[in-house]
Amino acid sequence: MPGNDWVTLELDDIQSGALHERPSPYVGVYLLLRIDDRAAGRELVRRLQAVVDTGTPSPDPAHDAWMTVAFTFHGLKALGVPQSSLDSFAPEFREGMAARATHLGDVGESSPEQWEKPLGTADVHVAIAVLAPDLARLEAVAERARRAHQELDGITVLWRQDCYQLPTGRTSFGFKDGIGQPGVEGSGRPPSNPHDRPLKAGEIILGYPDETGELPPMPTPDILGRNGTYVIFRKLHTNVAAYRQYLRAKAADREEEALLGAKMVGRWQGGAPLALSPERDDPDLGSDPRRNNDFLYGDDPRGFKCPVGAHARRANPRDALDTDGSVDVRLHRMIRRSTSYGPPLPDGVLEDDGADRGIIFVCVGAHIKRQFEFVKTQWLNDGIFIGAPSEADPLVGSGDGATSFTIPRRPIRRRLQDLPPFVTTRGGEYCFAPSLPAMRWLAELP
Amino acid sequence: MAISGAQSSGPGVSVGPTSEFSLFFRVKPGQSESLRDALNDLQQTPGYRPGDYGMAITTIHEARFVLFDDDTRLAFITSFDGPWDAYMEDFFNSGPTLALFDVIFRHAEGYDGLPDLAAEKAFILGAQQSAAAYARNYPGTVKEIRKAQRVNAAFQRVLDHPEAAAALQHPALQPLLDEAGD
Ligand code: HEM
Repeated sequence: MPGNDWVTLELDDIQSGALHERPSPYVGVYLLLRIDDRAAGRELVRRLQAVVDTGTPSPDPAHDAWMTVAFTFHGLKALGVPQSSLDSFAPEFREGMAARATHLGDVGESSPEQWEKPLGTADVHVAIAVLAPDLARLEAVAERARRAHQELDGITVLWRQDCYQLPTGRTSFGFKDGIGQPGVEGSGRPPSNPHDRPLKAGEIILGYPDETGELPPMPTPDILGRNGTYVIFRKLHTNVAAYRQYLRAKAADREEEALLGAKMVGRWQGGAPLALSPERDDPDLGSDPRRNNDFLYGDDPRGFKCPVGAHARRANPRDALDTDGSVDVRLHRMIRRSTSYGPPLPDGVLEDDGADRGIIFVCVGAHIKRQFEFVKTQWLNDGIFIGAPSEADPLVGSGDGATSFTIPRRPIRRRLQDLPPFVTTRGGEYCFAPSLPAMRWLAELP
Repeated sequence: MAISGAQSSGPGVSVGPTSEFSLFFRVKPGQSESLRDALNDLQQTPGYRPGDYGMAITTIHEARFVLFDDDTRLAFITSFDGPWDAYMEDFFNSGPTLALFDVIFRHAEGYDGLPDLAAEKAFILGAQQSAAAYARNYPGTVKEIRKAQRVNAAFQRVLDHPEAAAALQHPALQPLLDEAGD
């Protein structure tokens, strides 16, 4: 097309997991595998490349189920990737998430010493994610994965995590999730926010120019890096009872609880953004994909509608920092593919039942450091950027102790004190999801 | 000398939320005069005009360009809020700042200029030196300082009100009353 400088993504080579909306409702399973034998590992990759999903996502996500395969740095080593290639990966990926813990705020209860085994250990080599709209289709795809790894001596399944969307369609704290996503040039998917130009493809997929106009640093050889992407994976336990108790203690009634919760997130439980519906929940708005992400914060610099410290506004300040001159928000976006795990805490229950529940946080991008790590450390763990260095994200917290949260309001602001951490990191990995040709290259390493 | 509270976050030293950032260059032979002219021009631009207090990067506390060693060398020294390391990519993606730097640094040895971003990056990172000692006299970020100034200006206006003394008698206002005497 003349005058069109959009790139064409080589979708047939790219694993669908990155650019594919997850179905809703969904069921899924995550597997972590160890490669004890190099030849078996390569055979595993050969079989998996035949069954992972690529190509243009179906326009109707409800009709699809798919598998994504990714490798940790230890996994690439176990496969015998040559040292020069290993050295060409992003430094954060080579170090691994556990080694980045202090930087990321994974300390105290969230520190790698406390993580669920084998997360964060050198044993985790391969991660497989399968997502489907229902159990039958999940089984069909999971069976393909099983056939790939079973009967292979030298491949051990270390860990399995099931996930499913709660009947409410909400995550454990009660909020609809996965709404705010960037558009990506060449992905064939329209952006959910008409005010937001789609990102350059190189922000998400390696081998294409990114928002700086350059090609992102890419693993070598070309065939290994191109059309791949980094996948960040974290198991985040949510302490729902503590969250509910806190709101109960601070609010006069259920209505005020809902308001405080919405102020902390930046959206009402049903997904309606405070920027568009500051006074009350609007479930129709929340579930309307044409409207529920169609907003900016520029008309609300002081945060009277949506607090500047709210989770979603921190995680993507949109135009709110445009006049700072020090930050380009487009360098700090990510595609999120998080899912819920564990049973819901029944409505109204304030006591912890001891069940493990939360989010398998998954995000995808070409730059671990300036996307996931930047957002986590500069925008969620810290408040320097909003002129409140001592305040951390009210929902996700900083990992090290209590924080406070300011809700702008007339005539005077409200400040919530001593918010305990509501989220604990149970573990995580930095992975690399290679293209299909890269998987074949890995399978056929000399 | 030990400076308590100073921490290194990659290149550059920080105190609390604020980091120092210093660059040192050699001036191209014969260009010291044109460089001085460029700096004089810069001084007249919005944000650098004395009294403007409105630099393009609002998280910078102050910035200076210093010619030294008989104008054979140039230093650029600043302090800004946030860790150095996290914000470098943003800095290199900021059109106006790069354009401003381009005008100055083209007089420095080794500068090949825009639009080659990779070269520009390498050039600037190569000129950076971390402070051996760094201290600050207030803990706030620029955003906090500006807010504090707005609040103080408002407080002074309250004190100028003829009934301020009576109004400040409420027990809730005691901390303000404590600050109202001078
Ligand atoms: C258990 C932990 C977390 C919970 C419960 C949670 C929940 C939510 C909710 C309810 C929303 C608003 C709905 C939406 O736009 O999808 C949201 C948005 C978002 N969250 Fe989280 N989140 C968690 C952790 C994180 C982490 C660790 C990051 C990044 C490091 C993150 C990044 C984002 C981003 C980028 C958005 C979209 C903002 C936008 O585009 O407007 N979240 N999250």
